[in-house]
Amino acid sequence: MTKSNTGMVDPQESAAKELKTYALGFAASVLLTGVAFAAAISDLPAVWKVGIICLAALLQIVAHLRNFLHLSFSGGQSREDLLLVLFSVTLLAIMAGGTWYIMADLGGRMHEKGMMPHEASP
Amino acid sequence: MSDNSLYPGLNLGETHSAAHDQAETTVFGFWVFVMSDLIIFGILFACYASYLDPVGLAGGPGPADLFDITSVAIQTALLLLGGVAYGGVSLVVKYEHGHRRLIAWLLVCAALGAGFLFFEVRDFIEQAGKGGVPQASGWLSSYWTLVGLHGIHVFSGIVWIMAMVAQIAVRGIDDVVKVRLSMLGVFWHFLDLIWVAIFSFVFLVPLS
Repeated sequence: MTKSNTGMVDPQESAAKELKTYALGFAASVLLTGVAFAAAISDLPAVWKVGIICLAALLQIVAHLRNFLHLSFSGGQSREDLLLVLFSVTLLAIMAGGTWYIMADLGGRMHEKGMMPHEASP
Repeated sequence: MSDNSLYPGLNLGETHSAAHDQAETTVFGFWVFVMSDLIIFGILFACYASYLDPVGLAGGPGPADLFDITSVAIQTALLLLGGVAYGGVSLVVKYEHGHRRLIAWLLVCAALGAGFLFFEVRDFIEQAGKGGVPQASGWLSSYWTLVGLHGIHVFSGIVWIMAMVAQIAVRGIDDVVKVRLSMLGVFWHFLDLIWVAIFSFVFLVPLS
């Protein structure tokens, strides 16, 4: 990077770099999608399948953010963009995670056998 | 990537300084919309997950009756390729490879998006034929709302791409068009990201 102090980046060089970023993102997405679908149709126990699918989805979302949306996680980004992502993710965790937790808990208490006290002691 | 990204998506860079500076505020504003869209999708995901139990299914048809994993795989491939193809659009704009290539890449994106929609609508029609209509159960209501909303987004994306093709034909690749293409890129890649969550949590997890 001898040219960086002139403030000019060689366009050929940066074009190749950007093309590589897209290619890497594409390769990662294909791989992770393949893993998720392979897990879904495999004979693994259900818990394993769900775990693999969730992990592959999380990794693929990070790959999309980095390689396609070009969000930098290490400060090479306008600060507000990253703050907005973090704020949105926090809101989502509270609202979506909270909804899912409350409804799952309610469902467990009201519908599953053995959970209700009067059923446990007839 | 250049040293400093001013906004989400591939930055135009200093060679396009006027458009690059304009894009900072405009694309940030659009990014705010995208993030509020993310919240809507997140809430719909939470609804879907909450309904995914025997009570939510309400005796109606379930995931194993309705979902066709082959069709989901085809849709995933088409949308993923469509998203990556927009990388071609961004690079052509940034390195000024001309109108023809730009329009070609945009049409590739639109065609792949349309292919995705074709398979999605075909699945919806098939599912409705098997009794999987939105009013059959809470789970199906949340399924149609979530996946349908994503489908409407993809449709709007295609309309937007065609509008950009028309604008490029009429006014050429000026600064306004460059900024709009940057916004469209953020939108198009965001739809890909939402689809990753949909094929994982809506289709694959219930089928496991």
